[in-house]
Amino acid sequence: MLIPRRVKHRKQHHPDRHGPAKGGTRVTFGEYGIQALEPAYVTNRQIESARIAMTRHIKRGGKVWINIYPDRPLTKKPAETRMGSGKGSPEWWIANVKPGRVMFELSYPNETTAKEALNRAIHKLPMKCRIVKREVGEA
Amino acid sequence: MAEVRIAAEPRTEFGKGGARRTRRAGRLPAVLYGHGTDPRHISLPSREFEHALRTDGANVLLSLQIDGGDELALPKSIQRDPVRGAIEHVDLILVRRGEKITVDVPVILTGDAVPGGLVDHQLTVLSVAAEATHIPSSFEVSIDGLDVGDSIHAKDVKLPDGTELAGDPEAVVVHVLAAPTAEQFEAELAGAEAELGSGAAGGAEAAAAAAGDTEAPDEDAAEGGPAEDQTPES
Repeated sequence: MLIPRRVKHRKQHHPDRHGPAKGGTRVTFGEYGIQALEPAYVTNRQIESARIAMTRHIKRGGKVWINIYPDRPLTKKPAETRMGSGKGSPEWWIANVKPGRVMFELSYPNETTAKEALNRAIHKLPMKCRIVKREVGEA
Repeated sequence: MAEVRIAAEPRTEFGKGGARRTRRAGRLPAVLYGHGTDPRHISLPSREFEHALRTDGANVLLSLQIDGGDELALPKSIQRDPVRGAIEHVDLILVRRGEKITVDVPVILTGDAVPGGLVDHQLTVLSVAAEATHIPSSFEVSIDGLDVGDSIHAKDVKLPDGTELAGDPEAVVVHVLAAPTAEQFEAELAGAEAELGSGAAGGAEAAAAAAGDTEAPDEDAAEGGPAEDQTPES
């Protein structure tokens, strides 16, 4: 599972969810990709689950790329705790994904199988997504 | 590649307000520059430009009619809305007939890899120097007969007459990797699934470990201190 090896600050503010993705909006490594259509915090468990879902479907005949990294910690206060007494403990690692971001890429010879694999991965993700194809040679 | 004639108009309104008004009117804000001339702000008809891009590819040669004169130009950079995909702005670069320019031409793979091989298409566009009026639309590279471990380099791609390679000739265009064996594949996925199924508590523990926090959770006094900047020893 993706976890940073070390961080500068173990408890951070919540990342900004506004605005579109500024980069990584195109398929660059594979032939197909999953593009986010809404902002969301994607946890490392969701990323791993999506990767396993698509890898299980394509078996050994393709390659998967993960373009996001869960480098932001989110904290949580324990249940039934009064407010105050400082910030809670780190609970999740998340990637701050904005609309337009291509999160996963896949290369597979058969388009139908590739799209089905990506569809299965989309079901593991917390936002609306769509499948995108690589644009041929656009500047 | 054929020239596409497009009527361009000089733009007098600038900034996001002016650009949005231009787009609402069905036109596309663009800038035209090159050959040491001052940049000219123009607008193009959106539908015609998008149609030219769809039919003739990203290296479409445009014959722009501006102020009664004709200018040859190529799209240099296209800005799109990341979600809707609509073109928002275009940078056009002036070219002359007979001039050699460096452009990125798509590489298309044909054929099938050997069974048990994974095709790794590393270079999807090839940088070539070609005459502005004779830019190839694409290069076809056959991967038939490539064995595991074989690769095709940029220098191996057959280029049409008058076209020269502009990038690194040793750059790998396509490479055939060995697919993992069934045992390796199952072992990797089983390990990942076991880690994923180890429960929610694992998330917090892992988070604390990665943050270099090996002590009690309320030890916040050293927040951002030097101890957290170091990799844990264990």
